[in-house]
Amino acid sequence: MGIKVLVFAMLFFTLNSEARPISYSGGSTLMAFSGNMYNSLYYHFSPTYRYSLGVESVEDKFFNQQYSYFRFTYLLSRRNTESSQGNLYFQSGLSSDGLDGHFYGLHGDWETRRWFIGFNYRDVKNSLKNYTDQFLQVGVAPYLGAYGDFHTWIMIKTKKNTLLGDWSTFPVLKFFKGNFLIEFGYNDQTEWDAHVMYRF
Amino acid sequence: MKIFFAFVFFVPALINAQDNHDHHDHHSHEGHLHEQMVDGEKLEVDVERFDKFVKGLKDKQIAVVSVKGMVCDFCAQGIEKTFKKDKTVAKIDVDLNKGKVFIAYQMNTKIDFEKIKKMIVSNGQNATKLQVLKL
Repeated sequence: MGIKVLVFAMLFFTLNSEARPISYSGGSTLMAFSGNMYNSLYYHFSPTYRYSLGVESVEDKFFNQQYSYFRFTYLLSRRNTESSQGNLYFQSGLSSDGLDGHFYGLHGDWETRRWFIGFNYRDVKNSLKNYTDQFLQVGVAPYLGAYGDFHTWIMIKTKKNTLLGDWSTFPVLKFFKGNFLIEFGYNDQTEWDAHVMYRF
Repeated sequence: MKIFFAFVFFVPALINAQDNHDHHDHHSHEGHLHEQMVDGEKLEVDVERFDKFVKGLKDKQIAVVSVKGMVCDFCAQGIEKTFKKDKTVAKIDVDLNKGKVFIAYQMNTKIDFEKIKKMIVSNGQNATKLQVLKL
């Protein structure tokens, strides 16, 4: 039972941080995640490209519970060059269960049209046990599509949760076209996970 | 078996060659606009994308804006949506390969680079250069 709780927590806070945390000015984003432990639906709105506000609803399959996070993400720094963009974000969330449940952390990425490198670090507080969660992710686009084309990314992700201790590394495939993105990750502990995003 | 391999290798090669021929013809007979000098400089654009953009446009000014930090479709979408709200813009497209934004304005519109810069910055990218071409 305890291990399942920990695995659930690790998955939740890792996989939900993969999506871009802020949209363009006035943009909304709807994200859905489905895995063997839980389903989640996350909506956020970006009044400017500097920050986003959102609500995430979680259906906990294991505990048969539902709760929400009220989330705030702020762009601390962005560096644009002719061929790349680098970002550093502050991210936070407050649980509907009360002040005891919250998280905060940093998320960073650097991207060209060919390469992607990202990291995430979160400090999570809850009524069960406090822990940190982190990952690194590296990806390559096998071909360069034009604006509006079907895009593909092949990625490797490695993550660690202090509750479990070990690093876990697994492949991720990402596809997107227009406003729609879908991402699959495979881990022998968690089997297939799916992440879908729609931006409007 | 040899015929099979010959077929497998030669047919794609022929199709590819035909595609290249088609592309060559396309650029030979249509739209040399991308080769035009603007303010003493040649336009650095994705030729196919630019030719497709200007096709059918008449009596327009084309602003070709160089943008830093435009690396994915989501960046492009934000810029496109911002400029589509501007009623003086007749058409817009994004060339990710060369980091350009194409904006078609009516001839009587005064193109303000500072305004364009602000609109690009509002989406988190930076406009660095403007070239204007009249059709």
